[in-house]
Amino acid sequence: MNFDIDFAIRTFPTVLKAAPMTLLIAVISMLLGLLLGFLITLCRMYKVPVLNKLAALYVSFIRGTPLLVQIYVIFFGLPTFINYLNQAMNWHIPVNNISPLVFALFAFTLNTTAYQSETIRSALSAVDGGQMEAAYSVGMTTLQSFTRIIIPQALVVALPNFGNIFLGLIKGTSLAFAVRVVEILAVAKIEAGDGYKYLEMYLDASIIYWIMCFLFEKLFILLENRLKRYKIEITT
Amino acid sequence: MFNMADIIRLIFRIIDKLPITLTIMIASLFLGLLLGLLLAAVKIKQSRIPNAIVTVYVSFMRCTPPLVQLFLVFYGLPQLLMLFNININDWDPVIFAIITFSMNSAAFLSEVMRSAYLAVDRGQQEAALSVGMSNIQSFISIILPQAFGIALPNLGNNLIILLKETSLAFTIGITDIMGQVNIICANSQGVNQLEIYLIIALIYWVICIAIEKGIAFLEHNYTRGHIGIAS
Repeated sequence: MNFDIDFAIRTFPTVLKAAPMTLLIAVISMLLGLLLGFLITLCRMYKVPVLNKLAALYVSFIRGTPLLVQIYVIFFGLPTFINYLNQAMNWHIPVNNISPLVFALFAFTLNTTAYQSETIRSALSAVDGGQMEAAYSVGMTTLQSFTRIIIPQALVVALPNFGNIFLGLIKGTSLAFAVRVVEILAVAKIEAGDGYKYLEMYLDASIIYWIMCFLFEKLFILLENRLKRYKIEITT
Repeated sequence: MFNMADIIRLIFRIIDKLPITLTIMIASLFLGLLLGLLLAAVKIKQSRIPNAIVTVYVSFMRCTPPLVQLFLVFYGLPQLLMLFNININDWDPVIFAIITFSMNSAAFLSEVMRSAYLAVDRGQQEAALSVGMSNIQSFISIILPQAFGIALPNLGNNLIILLKETSLAFTIGITDIMGQVNIICANSQGVNQLEIYLIIALIYWVICIAIEKGIAFLEHNYTRGHIGIAS
């Protein structure tokens, strides 16, 4: 087995150039998923009549089916759906030139929303009910009590689990090649295809993934330490 | 399109291999929970050297793809043990899969358990110690049930991710449900691929629903009497 280390080092910058695309998909999907996941969790926690069951079905379906299947469904189904909307509501959303990035972001956002809603549910349930009652008793509205009291406490509980989900998302973006988004693994496969040097390219891709994940892990730990300050104890 | 009889026959052929998938998943979960508990305890205690080792281990396991880890264990572990003159080349590949997935899930589960333990109010332990319980008694009777209730949704997340990861076992020669699907597709020369993949997606969904029901049942038991913020 000859390992062409020169080839690996020479094409490292080429693979590295695709890293921003991976980061873009991962970060945007994560942030949008956070927002949507929070809404879904609220529906389930407050047991909103119809949305409660719909949200549970959505979470169950998205977690139960493979990500690749979801990507393909979005890729083939979204243009059809937009066409239907165009006819039904007389809109004129252009269908033919949708960038593949849009499909990827859509699919990854929907996927990560389901997992994040469970994490947010666990974090919100870890906050004592008395906090909400105390907030009400000094006259805060629900929104104020959430933003000032509940969410800061819940965020500390949720951060390690968000880290888990985000690292899984970075590795999951490697599937975006299925909808022709050129990210790290796509570039690695393209470069390797020339001379069948797959092992060297996968090594390059693994190193870049590891560095990226390592940096984000540090970021999450920093965030967690910063947010944990309210919990400084006198005794251990 | 298929007719009903063909579909039923396909489903039975696939479900034939379900015990293998479930074995890998449950064994990996059990070992992963044990190892994850240990890793979480080290990270909570925060003594210098063990903490550093655990941080590097968790970082590597979470940041590299499970497929790469599977190949490393399957091809690398026999070579490593050959240095000590232990020959494990004739072990069942299922054992290698269980080793890999339990090591991988232990890293993720350690973060789940760490966040759950830290979410329980320190006052609970102080109150338990004040009525005369020992450290271990307070942990088992007071803190652990509450931490378990907080960890359950995240545990469900990781369990479902573990289930989907077991589909990688085909790459080292284990015929689980995904492996069976690949064999069927190869044998029928790709004729009915869409139907077969829809069937396997449904089978995974059914198993996930079973996992969710189990987690919901446990949640009902372990968050009894818990007053949440949603009044």
